[in-house]
Amino acid sequence: MDLLTQPVGVAHFMAVGAVLFVAGAVCMATKRNALGVLMGIELVLNGANLNFVALGSEYLRRDTALSLGADGNLIALFVIVLAAAEAAVALAITLNFYNNHSTVDVDRADDLRG
Amino acid sequence: MEPINWHSFFFLLFGALTAVFAVAVVVTSNVVRMAFYLILSLGATAGLFFLAGADFVGAMQLMIYVGGTLVLLIFGVMLTAQGPFISMKTGGGEWVLATIIGGALLGLLVKTAFSVEDWQGPAAVAHVEGEEEHAAALPAQSPTSAPIGLGLLGVRTDKLDPAKAELAPGMAGYLLPFEIVSVHLLVVLVGAAYLARTKKRREA
Amino acid sequence: MDDQVLGDNLWQLLRAAWLLPLVSFTIIVFGGKRLGKAGVLAGYLATGAIVGAFVLSMTAFGLWLNAYGVPKLEHHGGEHHAQAVSSGGVFSLVKFQEEAATEEHHASSTAHAGTPHYHAGEWYRLAQFGNLRASISYHIDALTVCMFCMVTLIASCIHFYAMGYMHDELHDITDHEVHLRDGHHLHRPGRYYRFFQYLSLFCFSMLGLVIAGNALMVFVFWELVGVCSYFLIGFYIERKSASNAANKAFIVNRVGDFGMLIGLMALWGSLGTFDFAASDLDHDGAIAQNEKGIFDLLRDPANGFALAPADGMVAAAAAADPEVQAAPTAENIQNWRAQGYGYWLLVIAGIGIFCGCVGKSAQFPLHVWLPDAMEGPTPVSALVHSATMVAAGVYLVGRFYPAFAPEALLVIAYVGAITLFLAATIAITATDIKRVLAYSTVSQLGYMMLSLGIGGWIGGMFHLFTHAFFKSLLFMCSGSVIHATHTNEMPKMGGLRKKMPWTAYTMLVGCLAIAGAGLPFAIFGWHIGLSGYYSKDSIVMHSLWYGDVMPRHAWLAFMPAIGAAITAFYMFRLWFMTFAGKPRDHHIYDHAHESPPIMYVPLVVLSVFAVGVAWTMPFTGLSLDGLLDSARWPGTNPAEVLGLSGVVDPHQYHGMATIVAFSTAIAGITLAAVFYGWGYLNPEDARRQFAPIYTFLRNKWYFDELYDFLFVRPTHFIAARVANLDKKWIDGLIDTLARGTKGLANLDDVIDRYFVDGLVNAVAHWTMSTGLALRGVQTGRLRQYVMFIVVGTVALFVMISFYASRA
Repeated sequence: MDLLTQPVGVAHFMAVGAVLFVAGAVCMATKRNALGVLMGIELVLNGANLNFVALGSEYLRRDTALSLGADGNLIALFVIVLAAAEAAVALAITLNFYNNHSTVDVDRADDLRG
Repeated sequence: MEPINWHSFFFLLFGALTAVFAVAVVVTSNVVRMAFYLILSLGATAGLFFLAGADFVGAMQLMIYVGGTLVLLIFGVMLTAQGPFISMKTGGGEWVLATIIGGALLGLLVKTAFSVEDWQGPAAVAHVEGEEEHAAALPAQSPTSAPIGLGLLGVRTDKLDPAKAELAPGMAGYLLPFEIVSVHLLVVLVGAAYLARTKKRREA
Repeated sequence: MDDQVLGDNLWQLLRAAWLLPLVSFTIIVFGGKRLGKAGVLAGYLATGAIVGAFVLSMTAFGLWLNAYGVPKLEHHGGEHHAQAVSSGGVFSLVKFQEEAATEEHHASSTAHAGTPHYHAGEWYRLAQFGNLRASISYHIDALTVCMFCMVTLIASCIHFYAMGYMHDELHDITDHEVHLRDGHHLHRPGRYYRFFQYLSLFCFSMLGLVIAGNALMVFVFWELVGVCSYFLIGFYIERKSASNAANKAFIVNRVGDFGMLIGLMALWGSLGTFDFAASDLDHDGAIAQNEKGIFDLLRDPANGFALAPADGMVAAAAAADPEVQAAPTAENIQNWRAQGYGYWLLVIAGIGIFCGCVGKSAQFPLHVWLPDAMEGPTPVSALVHSATMVAAGVYLVGRFYPAFAPEALLVIAYVGAITLFLAATIAITATDIKRVLAYSTVSQLGYMMLSLGIGGWIGGMFHLFTHAFFKSLLFMCSGSVIHATHTNEMPKMGGLRKKMPWTAYTMLVGCLAIAGAGLPFAIFGWHIGLSGYYSKDSIVMHSLWYGDVMPRHAWLAFMPAIGAAITAFYMFRLWFMTFAGKPRDHHIYDHAHESPPIMYVPLVVLSVFAVGVAWTMPFTGLSLDGLLDSARWPGTNPAEVLGLSGVVDPHQYHGMATIVAFSTAIAGITLAAVFYGWGYLNPEDARRQFAPIYTFLRNKWYFDELYDFLFVRPTHFIAARVANLDKKWIDGLIDTLARGTKGLANLDDVIDRYFVDGLVNAVAHWTMSTGLALRGVQTGRLRQYVMFIVVGTVALFVMISFYASRA
């Protein structure tokens, strides 16, 4: 029960972030639904956000002078904004695809093959 | 027995929620359920943000991400949730491959994360040096929204005296990226609106 | 008149006379066809040029006489005899061994204490190598002036004659002697102007040869004359016989020229000059060593003009002898000369020069071209092959006389004697009228060479002049006959004197001249005779003298007399067969007619000269032989030139010679009259009786067959072998090389096509297949791409952590 009594560090946050990241990657790789892929993207971005925030926190390090401070938070903010933008565009594409092909199955979107 | 570090307790709680729901997103095949699990996962992430002291970012996460982006996703799900598209299964072989690779990546990442001494947490060092009481007390929380806001305007008030000389060049604010992102959002809106405009629907 | 001015004037006149025919030639060459209708003006132009040259020559002759007076040479023994034996009789018989004043003869014959009058100079120096000069120079003495007059006069007559004779060439001609492949006769346009073009060129060449002042220039014009002869003989180029004859003439001449070149080389190499006599080239009034001529070097005035090898010759001969080590100082050279070094070089030089004359003057063994040269038109035969070109050889021997050693003269004499006899015998049996005259020419040239060889310089040169006149007359008469009867063959003629009186009687004059008709006694101290009589008389006289003073070669003494007899015989045979008796072919007789005046007037002119050219002009004492004698170089009288001393004077044999000449002429004419004139004896019987001899003579002593066997066939054989070699081996080699190259090219082609192209194609193919293979990577499946990204990321991470942890 070390985890309960001892304060957590960046590494623990990063572990969670890793889980999010891997989950998102696997989701992107395995989902046939285009929206499922989008969700995977969101997960990946969130995992990255978690990393940033953890590194920018002033509590979680031994040497707190090394923390990113506001940089970490700001970067995470930008990532959120860009994630939103990207989600909007991706959704537009998916809807366009749905309008043209009447399906959101990404396995059907293989016209651009060699 | 040592007193429970409630910070860590809540970290574990939210962390577990995040991870479980993230995995659930992956595992489930129903896209609507996927969306819901995602919302829950991202909400738990916001909690993690608060625990890390990034209150502004956490609030933003809840507002923008959960409240905006994911709602958008749910709109998309609802628009395309015709019968056969709701649950599409992938083959078993692909699951195996994805699991192997995902597991490998996860192991690597975690291992790497825990290999840096600086990231192990404040208590370990203090425990060695024998300053447990000092370490157990968390420093007082200072709100982060003001520095962030000022940073966006170009003033970095949190790092007026840079700790290390090599970090000095990074003292400029985030005004330029702020503007760029604004324009970027505009472009994205326009583009998305164009892309998703109503066209003559073909017969399915 | 100042000597230099006189020399300049003479040179100007004679140079103008020499170059006038060249101008005519140039104009006709470039504008021949345009000169009047079918080039008829070309004839006038050429004739005008040569008549102009004659006028200039006569002017020069007048200048010469004016300057040097008439040479008084009283060697006519009859005259002296008349004065010595003043027995008051009109006719006085000739006595044997008359005691004429030998001193006077000696004085007159050696009247030249120094060299004879001559003018020599250089017109243009072509090249100079140290002291050796190659230049265009002149040497004008009495002989030159006389030759100019003779050549231009005869050429003028012949030009007039030719204008009439070649009249046919003004329009298209059907040549009946040329058969084309389809059996027809050749039909061609006329070539009138071309004839006069060649005639002009020939006159220019001949005059250039006469005026030449050095041996090299002589050689150049020697060749030019040969070339003109080639053109003129082969005038009817379409006739195979004519073109063969032209080739034969030129080639045989070339053989002689080979010897001439050796002689010239010997002279130049040892003497260092080609000039005949000394000439003041730098106009400083004195003759330096390098300005001396051949005659001066070989006959030193200080040595009494005796023939001795020059210093250069002695030094050259001594240097060639490996036993002689000393340096060529003056004293050494004197010793060597005494030992005889250089003498044979002199002899070789003389014989070499003579070889050229053998070719040009058709002596044995190079006489075979002259009879065939009769293929040319008759004016050509008259001008070139009787009077001028063939006389050039005799002229050169006469000009070069001071340089001949006695051994060389002996060779000349023997060659002349053999030729004389040989040609005369062949002429007995010839039936072509021009062939008879051709062999007669060869024989007379042998006569002249014999005379020169036995020391009778005056006789030989005198005969040259008289022979020119009567031989050209004879040829032109024969041309007239041929023109009238359209045939050359005498057996088809006969009795033509009634139809062609002018021709017949001028030809009679010519025959009498060549036979040497004349009275053997004197009337009022004058000998009456035709021109041939005087010249033949001189030669016979010298031969009789020679027979006495050189008993070793005495048989040479009989040759002139024998030759004279045979000459008279065959010439009158010719005359009787052509003009007397009954006509043998009535068709020809009916069509025969006299020639137009333009043709028979020159005959008359020439016959006048044939009669009187040897006479001494009354009141002036001007005579041809006197003029010639004034040109003779000192030291070359008969005794001296043969290397004899203290012998009797040749003029003592004059009386004997007259009788011999007269009797032989009478004998020959009588025999001819018996056979052909009165017909007492039948020539057919003689032919049958002497059948082998007749055949031998009829076939010209088989010389043509001999040369064909000795020279022509081996040449053809070698040529065939070489041609074979060329075709089989050289062509074969080239073909093999070509085939090898082709094979190599094929191999290259294979390599190029299979290997190089294959390589390139393989690379292209590989690129294409790789591209096609890589195409499969793009499946278009989104999830696969994502998987790849993830895998790639993992791999990168592994690598970095692996290396990072190591480092």
